[in-house]
Amino acid sequence: MNKWLIPAVTAVALLSGCSTVQRGSIPVEDAGTAVSNSERISANGGFRQSTVKRPVQAQTQAIPQGDTGVVVMVPGGGAVSSAPISTSPITPGPITPGPIDTSPVQSAPINQGSYSMPSTPSGIPSANSGGLSADEQLDGPVLALLTTAQQQQASGDLNGASSSLERAQRVAPREPQVLYRLAQVRMAQGDAAQAEQFARRGLTFANGRPDLQASLWELIAQAREKQGDPAGAALARQKAKVSL
Amino acid sequence: MRPWLGWALKLSLVGLVVLAGFAVYLDAVVQEKFSGKRWTIPAKVYARPLELFVGQKLSKDDFLTELDALGYRREAVSNGPGAAAVNGNTVDLNTRGFQFYEGMEQAQPVRVRFSGDYVAELSATNGSKLSVVRLEPLLIGGIYPKNLEDRILIKIDQVPPYLLETLVAVEDRDFYSHWGVSPKSIARAIYVNTSGGKMTQGGSTLTQQLVKNFYLTSERSLTRKLTEAMMAMLLELHYDKSEILEAYLNEVFVGQDGQRAVHGFGLASQFFFGQPLSELKLHQVALLVGMVKGPSYYNPRRNPERALERRNLVLDVLKEQGVASAEQVEAAKKMPLGVTTRGKLADSSFPGFLDLVKRQLREDYRDEDLTEEGLRIFTSFDPILQMKAEASVNDTFKRLAGRKGSDDVEAAMVVTNPETGEVQAMIGSRQASFAGFNRALDAVRPIGSLIKPAVYLTALEKPSQYTLTSWLSDDYFSVKGADGQIWKPQNYDRRSHGTVFLYQGLAHSYNLSTARLGLAVGVPNVLKTLARLGVSREFPAFPSMLLGAGGMTPIEVATMYQTLANGGFNTPMRGIRSVLTAEGEPLKRYPFQIQQQFDPASIYLIQNAMQRVMREGTGSSVYNVLPKTLTLAGKTGTSNDSRDSWFAGFSQDLLAVVWLGRDDNGKTPFTGATGALQVWTSFMRKADPLPLDMPQPDNIVQAWVDSRTGQGSEANCPGAVQMPYIRGSEPPPGAACGGESPAESVMDWVKGWMN
Repeated sequence: MNKWLIPAVTAVALLSGCSTVQRGSIPVEDAGTAVSNSERISANGGFRQSTVKRPVQAQTQAIPQGDTGVVVMVPGGGAVSSAPISTSPITPGPITPGPIDTSPVQSAPINQGSYSMPSTPSGIPSANSGGLSADEQLDGPVLALLTTAQQQQASGDLNGASSSLERAQRVAPREPQVLYRLAQVRMAQGDAAQAEQFARRGLTFANGRPDLQASLWELIAQAREKQGDPAGAALARQKAKVSL
Repeated sequence: MRPWLGWALKLSLVGLVVLAGFAVYLDAVVQEKFSGKRWTIPAKVYARPLELFVGQKLSKDDFLTELDALGYRREAVSNGPGAAAVNGNTVDLNTRGFQFYEGMEQAQPVRVRFSGDYVAELSATNGSKLSVVRLEPLLIGGIYPKNLEDRILIKIDQVPPYLLETLVAVEDRDFYSHWGVSPKSIARAIYVNTSGGKMTQGGSTLTQQLVKNFYLTSERSLTRKLTEAMMAMLLELHYDKSEILEAYLNEVFVGQDGQRAVHGFGLASQFFFGQPLSELKLHQVALLVGMVKGPSYYNPRRNPERALERRNLVLDVLKEQGVASAEQVEAAKKMPLGVTTRGKLADSSFPGFLDLVKRQLREDYRDEDLTEEGLRIFTSFDPILQMKAEASVNDTFKRLAGRKGSDDVEAAMVVTNPETGEVQAMIGSRQASFAGFNRALDAVRPIGSLIKPAVYLTALEKPSQYTLTSWLSDDYFSVKGADGQIWKPQNYDRRSHGTVFLYQGLAHSYNLSTARLGLAVGVPNVLKTLARLGVSREFPAFPSMLLGAGGMTPIEVATMYQTLANGGFNTPMRGIRSVLTAEGEPLKRYPFQIQQQFDPASIYLIQNAMQRVMREGTGSSVYNVLPKTLTLAGKTGTSNDSRDSWFAGFSQDLLAVVWLGRDDNGKTPFTGATGALQVWTSFMRKADPLPLDMPQPDNIVQAWVDSRTGQGSEANCPGAVQMPYIRGSEPPPGAACGGESPAESVMDWVKGWMN
């Protein structure tokens, strides 16, 4: 059992990383996905869970042959390159949709297994959770801070709203909704250039969230209009449609 | 007889008029200064407030360090603001509340439960969940002119129990009944003075002491004593007792901190106990009040025995006067002095970072605004990371002490959060508490191979010409520069490595292949890349720039690497978040700003190559110490003859730049890998950051290639490795090497196993 457990886990990691087509077929537990600061939490899960991960890294090359690890790092050896590409995986930090709710860490042994196992493909943001509409996923601190910011904005305190959103961004730096809200407030403050920048930053974290992508592109379109770039705005509107 | 009487009458009339005139003048003086802004207050600089929320990465030990620095009392049961009770993995505390830019954070009782290095639970003591709580920020310094008074203003309703009673009992028992002067004590003072003895007897009322310190010089003469008495009476005429007492509480001198004079009980409480005044207990109150008589003589840090004796004497007076019960006094006498070790609050604690803050502030404020208006400056400084950075420098120097010449080596370090662009810690000198030449901001030194990511990034932005697996020649060559000089670069090991993959040139920091690549893409283009990375310094377009002949400061390097770490978005380095007025009104914000400078795909590739620096290249020694699961990216740098030892690198949430070198630019025993990287590794081990994990951009594909030829390959072929490419630049897929559709079958097999 143990012998093929390692290559198996490895294979999931590698194969899932190599192809977007197969991604769907990997049994990623979708239940509790992608939240605000879940990157941090889940990254932890994987990070601390080094006992599971480490063998994966060490024996990457074992997969193709399925036998013991062939070390490819043979200098010279008649190869074209003086030193072949190292096979030590440049990975993906261990990411995965983490648990959202308020009890991510405490449930250690039981829960962690489930979310650290199906390693998500390299570089795919943990926010990648398919079509879930964004708002319902936000939890604790981020939701609280966005709510505060909303109230401040409603009362005309744009600086306060901006400050609260930056606080939220420090708590969950890669939550695209926070960046989206920041972009909106910058827009309200009359800083269309920064609004566009934050929306663009948001897009880099919004893979697999088409609704949010569309909103971000729409905001970029508005920002470009404000900056006197109707052509760029039209282009962004196009993207907004494609996203949906 | 009559003329004499007439003269006397006239004279005394004149005297009365003069006296009345003088009184009117004094009255104006008294009122003018007392009714306006009474004191100039230096700006106060605060660290970032520690945020608490479930899922936050924070170890219990670090949390307790923060609480200690904030002067929380450890108690069996947390009772009242500023108290904390530790119970296994659970910490109950009562926050103090604080006015932030975004609003007021209320003081509240909070329960924090830790699990591993994470916050697992955050609730009110009644069990209801709290989503996010902020502690009050640590005061890390102030902005003082030379020789200045400093104080924390307090209101009379913020004083702890016993303070007013003790002060009155010890200094001026008739305070609430006299009119500013106590004739008894004046008589005594005159008697002592005229009978030849020096006027050592205090004897003046609290009002007189206030007048003396607030309006007058410290000259001791009869006229001054009379003036003081008149002004004291005038003060009493216009202001009530509690106003006078409040002014006294803020004016009184209680100690000297280097250049800075510590005035008022508010600052004294922080200075000696590390706690807000309102939280002081009887024994602490007695000590502070006792010190008023002779702040230097009774200094509890320098003369603890005298101070203890004086404190207990004050406690006895309290018992005698019925201010406190005998039991309370006995209990208080058993308490230790309880003063903090010096330096917790001193201006000199974190000179490197404060220097950065001051420079950023001077761009927006006049010096007077900073030293007089009592501004509250909120920064991104993280005292926990600072302590870890300092410890890393110290530990590493200790470990490398055997190296000849290491004693003369200086150090600088900049720590930032690449996700927010904020500076979190800074070391400007090997001895971090030493204020002076701030190398992190001012040492302009050749960056050596730290420049190389800019060279490779310039190439990788042209996916039709360069990929991570493009071939580079690492053969010897020479070029004639614009100045006619022949430039003949060398590898560090003085050997050529034949033909290498592009990423290997970076990973192993080969000079020959890097210089060839840089010349191929063009030196001016590399310099343009450097500018887009956020480096504003101008460099001449000499070929030697490709190997880092140009000088930069550690903070400039941090700016450059931050853009690499943050997906190609540049952020101007920030140390300040916001500024409030002395009254807590929002004044200015330093907003988070970003500017996209690169397509995320090319950044993804350069990060991949920089990860390989750590996995297989010049940075690989990190994994002797750190777990392999911790993905990091970085670059070593060594200037000619090892004069500068650099390392710059980052995780997901933490970026650090380390420089080691000599102030006289002499040779050091360190390369980037054997010197700066050791400090960096030590820091990362202590800081325990999150693994680097950049989301894969849409236009990146992962392709299987043969690890020796770089040609497309099937996943199951021997030596096949996966590499990222910008879509369209990946090598065409290779032929299968036997077996039917291996990828799929492996998948099926895995799926079967997973189910």
